[in-house]
Amino acid sequence: MQPLSHPKAIKLLCILLTALLTACAQTPIEPPAPPLDLVGRVSLIQAITPPSQPQLLEIGILVFTVDDKQQQEYQPGDWIFDEIIQKETRFLPHLLKNTLLESNQWGAIRVIPERDPSLDLFVSGRIIKSDGLNLVLEINAKDSTGREWLNKIYADAAGFGDYPESTRFTLDNTFDASNFIDPFQDVYNQISNDLLAVRDSLSEQSLGKLNSVTEMTYARDLSPDTFARTLVEGPDGLLMLDSLLARDDPMLLRVADMQYRHQLFIDTVDEYYTTLYDDIKPAYVLWRRYSIDEISEAEAARQQAESNNYGNSSGFLSLSQRYDRFKWSKIFEREFTELASGFNTELAPAILELNTQVRGLNGTMEQQYREWRGILRSLFELETGESITGQ
Amino acid sequence: MINATLIQQQLRKMPRPGRILLFVIAAMAPLAQAMDDLPILNLNRPIRLDFSGSWEKDFRRSDNWEDELGRSMRIRQEAAARQSTQGSSGRSRSAPPIAIGNVNLSRSSGRGANIVDVARLAEYISRQSTLKITQTREEIRIERRGEAALVCGMDFGIMETFANEHGVEVCGWDGQQLVFQIMLPDDLIVAHRFSVSADQQLLNLITSISSKGSEPFNLIQAFNHYDAPVDEFECVQTLSRGRVCNQADVDF
Repeated sequence: MQPLSHPKAIKLLCILLTALLTACAQTPIEPPAPPLDLVGRVSLIQAITPPSQPQLLEIGILVFTVDDKQQQEYQPGDWIFDEIIQKETRFLPHLLKNTLLESNQWGAIRVIPERDPSLDLFVSGRIIKSDGLNLVLEINAKDSTGREWLNKIYADAAGFGDYPESTRFTLDNTFDASNFIDPFQDVYNQISNDLLAVRDSLSEQSLGKLNSVTEMTYARDLSPDTFARTLVEGPDGLLMLDSLLARDDPMLLRVADMQYRHQLFIDTVDEYYTTLYDDIKPAYVLWRRYSIDEISEAEAARQQAESNNYGNSSGFLSLSQRYDRFKWSKIFEREFTELASGFNTELAPAILELNTQVRGLNGTMEQQYREWRGILRSLFELETGESITGQ
Repeated sequence: MINATLIQQQLRKMPRPGRILLFVIAAMAPLAQAMDDLPILNLNRPIRLDFSGSWEKDFRRSDNWEDELGRSMRIRQEAAARQSTQGSSGRSRSAPPIAIGNVNLSRSSGRGANIVDVARLAEYISRQSTLKITQTREEIRIERRGEAALVCGMDFGIMETFANEHGVEVCGWDGQQLVFQIMLPDDLIVAHRFSVSADQQLLNLITSISSKGSEPFNLIQAFNHYDAPVDEFECVQTLSRGRVCNQADVDF
């Protein structure tokens, strides 16, 4: 091949660069995400007759998560709203828990800080969007065998009708949160109904096996060496029983004893989250009310700005009107941020109380939970060791 | 508990240079502790003059908007007269761009608002007679009665502090001067430039307004530092109880 002369090489390079830049410029712009399907009006399916024993699965709803914002997305004051969404990660699971309880279809349902080996079904959620107008959640549910029950995005939109007048703060009005129906209750009803549909598609036998797998998963978590061979992964990737100990096996009895103590603890953890929920609820509903008001005001302002070109006048009145509109929209936004900050201030004692509840354990509720599981494991080892020595 | 007599006995047994060294180490311990407590100097964070405090307008040193308007009109008439005698094409002189740091903000050309109206707007915006400024290593907040606070970070570069369909507000530092620029619809631009004296006793605020690229109308306001009385109450905003106030702890 003949080497290119210098001017020819430069010319070729230029053409290549132009082609590259054109290609870059023509990179298709990502189309906007399609609008999410809203759940609409959903009635909760409630059990009239009590479900059978294997159907009474124990459910753990994990504290929800939220995506971390990218550093460049941050604007001044955003941390206040971040704090609110962190509180929502603890508050919204309770609304789901209450809905599941109301359906009468399940065994014990608890809100827990992390995956727990003693439970049959785990529901985890990610908050994609949450304000007074919209709620978008990504919900995932898996049972102890690893079978996926749900992996779906749920969205709902609220209207002013969902917020009664009593949710507006005035000095002589005390909001009664106890009878308030959440504006996004349909989302939780839909999740509950979807979980029920999956459970109903499973035979009693499958549910019985699921209970046994849960029992062995907990035993294996307590003592991995002793119970290592009780569970194996099947060809479909799901956990299944490989060998079973006799019902009256002393080791299994000890596990049951530990599980009882463990469940007492997670009941207590759940109670603390319930207390937090009760503390948060009145302020949270007021906050959502402010939020929908703010969204609606912003939308009205946007429409006003679109429809009004401020006239062609450049007189003092027109100039001052332009300045005032900007000024008031800024004041309004600052007030909203201040309210958001007020919401955080109001809830700070409740969060602090949650994290100092369990005497003798340290750290946040999540850390205390981990510490407790460690204590139980040590206790089990100790008891097992003692009994072996005794024998 | 450590037995003090035992320590004294051990010290007596030690050779003299060893004892001196021990005393030096012991004496330096609090110093090392104090050094640990000092904030780490972050050289990436710029050092700014201190604007904080309460400020009241000095009307004697501040511009009177009508005088300033008269002066501006006189200058413009003189310029127009010069242009007509020199047979100029009559084009309006382009105004220097408003700059924050080294970045010029875009502006459009066209016929702007009447200078009288712009001057009246400058007076309308500058009616506050007091300012309250709080400043931390992260941000500066300027509170004015009847206005939303002007808040800016302490970093380099232009920061967008507020934006919606009614306007965009940016801020930044031009040397040791703090500049806010508000771009309103129809190319109406309001800029506030704050500067403070090194002894933190005097503060100057220049408010510049231009319309559709016209020459800005500047109004200078001078402020003096004053000691505002300490707030008797400390208030926090809550959602379910409104604004809740406690009596502040005042040191006498």
